Amino acid sequence: MKKFIVFISVLLVALFAFSEESITLNLIEAFSSPWRTPTLNKIIEMFETLNPGVKINVISPPYETAYQKINLMVSTEQPLDIVEIGDWNLSTLAAMGKLEDLTPYINSWPEKNDLIDGILEAASIYHNTPYLLPHGLFAKALFYRPDILKKYGFNNYPKTMQELYDMGKKLTESDKNQYGFAFRGKGYPTSFIDAVVTSFFDDIDPDNMYLTKSGKIIFEDPRAVKALTFYVNIYKDTSPKDSINWGWDEQVNAFVSGITPLLFQDPDTTGMLNEMLKPGQYKTAPLPVGVSGKAYPSFGFVGWGIPTYSKHKDLAWKFIKFVSSAEINGYWSKSYGALPILKSVYKYDSYFSSYVFEGWTKMFEDKEHYQFTQYPLDNENWGKWNEFQEKTMQQVLLGKLSVVRCLKEWADFWKKAGIK
Amino acid sequence: MKHKRFVFFMILPTLLLISFVILYPTISGVLLSFKNYSVFNFGNIKWIGTDNFKEIFDDIFYIDVIWNTVKWIFFSVTFQLFFGFILALLMKEPFKGRGLYAGLVFYPWAISGFAIGLIWSWLLNGQFGVINDILIKLGFIKEGINFLSDPSLAMFSVILVNVWYGIPFFAIMILAALQSIPNSLYEAAEIDGAGYFTKLFKITIPYIKPTLINTILLRIIWVMNFPDIIYGMTRGGPAGSTEILSVKMINTVFYESNYSKAAAHGVIIVLILLIYTIMYLKLTSKKEFSL
Repeated sequence: MKKFIVFISVLLVALFAFSEESITLNLIEAFSSPWRTPTLNKIIEMFETLNPGVKINVISPPYETAYQKINLMVSTEQPLDIVEIGDWNLSTLAAMGKLEDLTPYINSWPEKNDLIDGILEAASIYHNTPYLLPHGLFAKALFYRPDILKKYGFNNYPKTMQELYDMGKKLTESDKNQYGFAFRGKGYPTSFIDAVVTSFFDDIDPDNMYLTKSGKIIFEDPRAVKALTFYVNIYKDTSPKDSINWGWDEQVNAFVSGITPLLFQDPDTTGMLNEMLKPGQYKTAPLPVGVSGKAYPSFGFVGWGIPTYSKHKDLAWKFIKFVSSAEINGYWSKSYGALPILKSVYKYDSYFSSYVFEGWTKMFEDKEHYQFTQYPLDNENWGKWNEFQEKTMQQVLLGKLSVVRCLKEWADFWKKAGIK
Repeated sequence: MKHKRFVFFMILPTLLLISFVILYPTISGVLLSFKNYSVFNFGNIKWIGTDNFKEIFDDIFYIDVIWNTVKWIFFSVTFQLFFGFILALLMKEPFKGRGLYAGLVFYPWAISGFAIGLIWSWLLNGQFGVINDILIKLGFIKEGINFLSDPSLAMFSVILVNVWYGIPFFAIMILAALQSIPNSLYEAAEIDGAGYFTKLFKITIPYIKPTLINTILLRIIWVMNFPDIIYGMTRGGPAGSTEILSVKMINTVFYESNYSKAAAHGVIIVLILLIYTIMYLKLTSKKEFSL
């Protein structure tokens, strides 16, 4: 018995001594997935090896409820040191006053000048202050299947929305189950609708997708009628009727099987496509421009932030700095499918200058035709808007609601929501 | 007096447990429905009275949601009961391999509803669904049927899947009741010259009526609170044509991240079910229904 007590006390003392030396940082991620979480764990392992005594505890809530959990944890000051924040909950968290201003950290960071142009500004949507450092970018581009287009005599991708429509219509042979465009009907179709609608404009507010430069709601503009009618025609003439019920899964499946060789998607789709298609079987291109000769893609981003109440802010920044270095960011983006945040990564890793990323690199370079704009994500009604727009859009596609009436509903929605 | 106190202390643990797992969540859910609790304003949660309910009833689509819920419950439960009853009657007679057969037909009940929704959404897909493929190859149709994207077919499709899913439950419950009917009743009836249908309507159904009543009561409540299949298949679309109350509640959480409004939806569902249960029990507890 005596021996046992001695043994236990020695063990306790040892544990105590050990635990005093090691610091545990709590990290919560927003996009847990069977592909991404293991990559994150590998990066953390590297960081822990380089920094003995530091442990990082990863919290991976289910994808669907992650943002709610993060908001709740931060607002109630649960022990967190590193928080993954998306563009659409940044304002909410920052408005609570629970996010650390990262300006001093970023200013002292040598890689600051290597950041892609505009990314820091995009991350500073709340009070012009960077409350997070993005680790990945998203934007829609056109994905196409050269093998299938060639069969129908097309050697190039569509450069304008009209070309997209014409090409899609020529491809469509419903008795052969061949269609043109992989339409998105359900599950957040917002950015698909808006990519087409805004391409009919040439004066979109660079800070707000739904306003013109003169401050008018775009859905009240006569150009929106033409635009939305055009969008409905894309559905009617170039897409399967079933696509009104398509989410991401169905869209990508239809693209892979070749049923719809034209698709708008984010870079994270490349991960899956690389597994399912042979190299060169798909390519990316800039979004087609509209009648205005312009297109207005929106930047989505995810990044890391530090809660104000964290006790290990400097260490947390050390980790953020580590994952944002060119090598790690390249490795991360490749397995995750986001666009890297550093210019040097595109040169450093030939994967990012390959045909897979052509669509985005061309859009980034062509500032005249591609003006990146932002969604009113900080508006309280944003979530409601996604549901409302999806439902009313489906009614228009089914012919239950007219284009004009629908646009009026949309304009009324945003007037009531107080867009500014 | 002493005895009463003893009883009280004996049931106290149960009462506490029930209050903790049922009473507390119910009350906090009801309280929540009168607040403005959403992801966008954790910093400013306050009482807003009946605003959530007002907003729900102001929604022009809400009447469609109620109507969809009625259709969903009525057709699902009716066909589940009908086919479950037939299945139970068939399973009652012993035959070779009955155990294996029972295992096979009861297995849908063991799968999660959401998984069933996802499986069937691919089976019924208009472009690459197996069911369309079979129908085309058999020459019944030329182009795929848009089971889930045609608003006139979507409700039919989700109900079809729910019926497929729910038959085993009725079959299990009814089979258990059938097996408790004493054989002597049938023998006596046969001596009196009763045919198959006379026996069915005069002995079988009256005998299992209490089981039927309870099973139907439970099933209606469950089916109303069962968004899994619809959520997996259509999320309530296209254009809200399959949106029932419980799907609407989930959509309020996932799209709007508005917990208090979702709680208000929940309160409405509870109220409807409460009224329904009281009415149903009152109607069915009349003399003629008791055995």
